[in-house]
Amino acid sequence: MWDYLVQERADIAFGAYQHTSLVVQCVVLATVLAFALAVLVTRVPRLEGVANAVSAIGLTLPSFALLGFLLPLLSLGTGPAVAAVTFYAVLPILRNAVVGLQGVDRTLLESARGMGMDPVSTLVRVQLPLAWPVILAGVRTSTQMTMGVAAIAAIVLGPGLGTYIFSGLEQIGSANALHSALVGTVGVVVLALVLDLLLLLFGRLTTSKGIRV
Amino acid sequence: MTATVEEPRTTEPAAPAARRRRSRLSREQVILLTALPALVAITFALWAWWRASADLDSIESRQLAWGTLANLTWQHIKISLVTTAFVLVTAIPLGVLLTRGRFRRASPLVVGVANIGQAAPAIGLVVLFAIWLGFGFWTGVLAFTLYGVLPVLRNTIVGLQGVDPTLVEAGRGMGMSGAGVLFRIELPLAVPVIMAGARTALVLVVGVASFATFIDAGGLGALIQTGITLFRTSVLVSGGLLIALLALLVDWAGRVLETIARPKGL
Repeated sequence: MWDYLVQERADIAFGAYQHTSLVVQCVVLATVLAFALAVLVTRVPRLEGVANAVSAIGLTLPSFALLGFLLPLLSLGTGPAVAAVTFYAVLPILRNAVVGLQGVDRTLLESARGMGMDPVSTLVRVQLPLAWPVILAGVRTSTQMTMGVAAIAAIVLGPGLGTYIFSGLEQIGSANALHSALVGTVGVVVLALVLDLLLLLFGRLTTSKGIRV
Repeated sequence: MTATVEEPRTTEPAAPAARRRRSRLSREQVILLTALPALVAITFALWAWWRASADLDSIESRQLAWGTLANLTWQHIKISLVTTAFVLVTAIPLGVLLTRGRFRRASPLVVGVANIGQAAPAIGLVVLFAIWLGFGFWTGVLAFTLYGVLPVLRNTIVGLQGVDPTLVEAGRGMGMSGAGVLFRIELPLAVPVIMAGARTALVLVVGVASFATFIDAGGLGALIQTGITLFRTSVLVSGGLLIALLALLVDWAGRVLETIARPKGL
């Protein structure tokens, strides 16, 4: 195993880098999308149930099935991987962003108005900082979840560590099958843990001082 | 994968809202209970109409023959049901054990380890188990069970811990035994949370069962795999569609059961 790791270290590092980069970029994109959707949903109360139902249904869709739909639309490669990872990343963040934005005390919004803030600066300087910890919890859930989705995306020739899992599957019977599958599976778990810790740290640094526990 | 796990940290801030509408079903639940079966039925009808009228080449018509489809669907359902049964008989007793007496201290550790395990990609587990045990139905069942245990285990622990301790004490005060308290107070009160976990697990399992085809254990994933290797969009999309419909249907059935099985007092 050790020999395999040493021998393949450049490739493994590159796979890990691609995997992380795919997930991080998609999660950032998903956070922006989900926040915009959440702002819309909180402005139109009737949409809340719909948004929650849509996100529950979305999370029910198996990722392998979704990749099946996306493949004819986006052809093999990074396209379907990005689309699938972003899709799954949006859902938990959306749910949490709605909860977070609604959790902001109404009196604070009135104070902001009373101080002469316009709706945009109320959103950016009052609501977003207060809802941030809840949104960030959603981001963490999304990141953990999409690490696995990104691994499956290797079947449509997406980038990342999933390639090792599938090459392990193809080589079953040979000595390298186990090494390859272990690198893919354990690598994803390790990356997920590292990202989660980084997000935790990021959360501490970006949470507004007034609400830090 | 990717059905949501009932996250305690997600729901915390929603508590006041939940309390307000506890008496009736929330808007979200109503939508899910009514729109879900309608969505599934309409999509399936459209697909079946397409299948019956489409002009298919010989490969497609062999892959999408009604008999083959029924067979694959049945294999998919069978492996999902067997796996779910395994998940329930391991996770619920384990969850109960981890909230009893001296095992209680181990529960954060077990949940932590299980959380880390959750990040493991299902396809990786399937391949590792196949290397260890060879191809076949039971290898799939074992790998998927490992994958599905977490949500049920976590929800069993969370559900039992969420039972008001004064109720447990009241039960003890009435002279109930430990087992009596467990079966007549704690478990019934924790049923909604445990059921939510079980539904999540079942949906997860239906999803990951698509990978069974990689280890010769059958299922609808075969359509997606053949669709990709033979470049047949119709087969690919049909596979994705049928798996998604099955998952949605299972999710709906779980929600209906949850609504019915909720103990009357809650």
